[in-house]
Amino acid sequence: MSTTIPPRDPDTVMKLARLGSFHQSRLSFMRQLLRRLKSEAWSFERHAFEIDARGVGHAVYTAHGPARSYSLVAFANDLPPEKRSDRVIATEWDATFTLFDGIPTQADITRLRNNVPRQEAGRVSDRELSLSRANRSVRLWDHVVDALSQGRQPDADKVDAVGYLMRTTAVYGSGKFGAADREQTAHRDECRGPFQVEMLSVYLTRAFVMDLVEHMAHARAPDRAVKLDPALRRRFGIGNSTGLGMAPFLVTHPALLNSWIAAREEALARVRSLPEATAQEAERFRRYVSRATVHAEAWHSEHPLQIAKLEALRADMAALSSHLIDADLTAKQPWNRLWHWAEGHLSPEGQEQLASLLMEPYGDLVDPLCCCMAADEVTTFAIDGAMSLTRLQAILEDVYRWALETDWTDPATHARVWYTSEEKLEPRLGERFEEPIEPYEQPLGPGRDAARLHAALQGTTEETVAAFLLRHPEHRAITRRAQIAARLPYAEIRDNTLAADMLPIDMLRLKLSFFGACHFDPRSDRWLRINMFQHAPFPQELATGDADDWTLPPLPLAAQ
Amino acid sequence: MSWSLNEIEGLARKAARGAGLDWGLAEEAGKATRWLCAAGWPGADLLAGLLTRNQGVAYDRIRPISTDGTWQARSGMLCPLAAGAALCDRAWDWADGQSATLGPTAMPLLLVPYMAWSADRTGAILNLGFQGVSITRGHGETGVDVAEADALTCAAAASVALTPVKTVTGAPLRRAYRGEIGAEAARTLLDFAQKTYAPDTEQSRLSGAGAGLTDND
Repeated sequence: MSTTIPPRDPDTVMKLARLGSFHQSRLSFMRQLLRRLKSEAWSFERHAFEIDARGVGHAVYTAHGPARSYSLVAFANDLPPEKRSDRVIATEWDATFTLFDGIPTQADITRLRNNVPRQEAGRVSDRELSLSRANRSVRLWDHVVDALSQGRQPDADKVDAVGYLMRTTAVYGSGKFGAADREQTAHRDECRGPFQVEMLSVYLTRAFVMDLVEHMAHARAPDRAVKLDPALRRRFGIGNSTGLGMAPFLVTHPALLNSWIAAREEALARVRSLPEATAQEAERFRRYVSRATVHAEAWHSEHPLQIAKLEALRADMAALSSHLIDADLTAKQPWNRLWHWAEGHLSPEGQEQLASLLMEPYGDLVDPLCCCMAADEVTTFAIDGAMSLTRLQAILEDVYRWALETDWTDPATHARVWYTSEEKLEPRLGERFEEPIEPYEQPLGPGRDAARLHAALQGTTEETVAAFLLRHPEHRAITRRAQIAARLPYAEIRDNTLAADMLPIDMLRLKLSFFGACHFDPRSDRWLRINMFQHAPFPQELATGDADDWTLPPLPLAAQ
Repeated sequence: MSWSLNEIEGLARKAARGAGLDWGLAEEAGKATRWLCAAGWPGADLLAGLLTRNQGVAYDRIRPISTDGTWQARSGMLCPLAAGAALCDRAWDWADGQSATLGPTAMPLLLVPYMAWSADRTGAILNLGFQGVSITRGHGETGVDVAEADALTCAAAASVALTPVKTVTGAPLRRAYRGEIGAEAARTLLDFAQKTYAPDTEQSRLSGAGAGLTDND
């Protein structure tokens, strides 16, 4: 469709502070998944639940789609408290999982039992699509088991304070530890979108965890134990604790990053371009704003950076609500007028929340964009050697202007080094001028590299990229990136990923918001917790309920 | 052991970097190795041999001195990763009907993915020939014609020709979704990859992944 309002300028969007203020939206991968499960009438069954009174055993949850079935195979463990850690350094977990391609046989279960609980130390096969693990939130788990086994419901405030019974940590996909590569499934409709396999695995994990807690309460007091009230049950999401491991992904997948952001910016531009809105659409939007206000109130963090952002967001929601009291939302490009008002009155948190909320009433305009969120990363990979160096220089001066204006002799501009640790084989961030790590630097500072390339181009005698790179292979990686970014406007984070004051949690939030996660709760500048699928219908509820109206909490009854 | 292609690519990229290649060449080496393994060929084993052979040799000694005339390396033996990158960079020249002739080249099978990317990028049909091996790529299809199976994995070819052709000929190549790496080659690649990992220090353990609030509540 044609839009009169162009998508936002990448120089505005691709700044870390703004990307680190993104919120989930209709385009989020969790929501894509549940809309599909609903529209294609997937069915679900619990194939096995062989777990003893100590909580040890396995379970199999199978999702049947129109063409194929997928099974979450879960292994539950009786983990001593001293071994419980969410960090990647852990070696045992309360529960471990794999998403199996099809329905596993007993032989598969035996094979998986010997490998899945060991996670990185084990090995899976091309029948497995993901590998993950989760730990209990001890404070909430014990409370819920106690309450249910005594025949009463857990305290709703305690449920809301944590929001989940288990936190997943790493969820490994595509080819990790021997699992199937993405190519093996990417041609399937249900796997084509980004991270659909991982989201299905997490969605089924939530269902398993809720069954497990009820099972444990029943095992403790078979005569007295009750099940969770269905309305309260929905208030449990599945947690996730995540760190630096996912940050480099955004830099190493520029074409994919562009697909995600371009879809979101196109969606926003489509809504802003609408010449008018119906009274019904305006009313629906106002309700979403009210629900987002409730969401912002219930979002807690102990981290000073996030506390400040949450204060800004709550103030933004109050200002927006107040503005909406007498704003005309029906005529004269109402959403574009509202957007311009927001640019002058809201912080980035509030602006980006508004971007997501504007999409809510317009599923017909927004949801079709989900099909553009994968990327062909093969054809974008080859360098165009025929390009003139004049053209390459012009690209650098456009895409990396901020980097060319940066004084790279200032140590603070490149104080950080991304590297991989020998012990854990995981991405880490170190201090260039304090630790002996520079020789191990990963190529995750495109701005600095672009500035170096730009300097090298001055005074070179070659005319084409091919001739230049033949003598200067050290500039191949950034040349490739620059050529990709010239074609794909949102491929590159236009900010300094090496700066002393860079916050990795901004990169994490960008990615997690596209997953559909809520309640970002940084625990430091480089790892955080989130909640996923909170308020979502459970698999058995999908057939009868709304599959896509759950990410923002329902309004209190009095306000409905 | 069956490896996922992602594992092979990651290992090959890190090994190439650990062996001293710049990141851009290492990224391409990773993808080239993946491509060969997905073709059912021992790409990772060849890479292990190549990295061992070129260990400590400067890039300037093994790259094409020039891409005019017959491509030659100062050392007398072209590195297929350096030559492959240069071939791919000139993809439009081959689409325009030009040919390339390479002098002595190590592990020439490693050139095939670069030839295939050149063809895919421009829509040209290209042929790579060495020692009785003829591999053609066009329209996303690969045809293979090999007189002697050993020639495919030869340690070096005296010359290699890249030529635009009219049709894809030879036995169609079928892609695989898993790859194999010989045990010794895997050890070699892991040893090279190891050089990209920073030894942990007390500071990196404490802050590298972010200290902070408790993670166990």
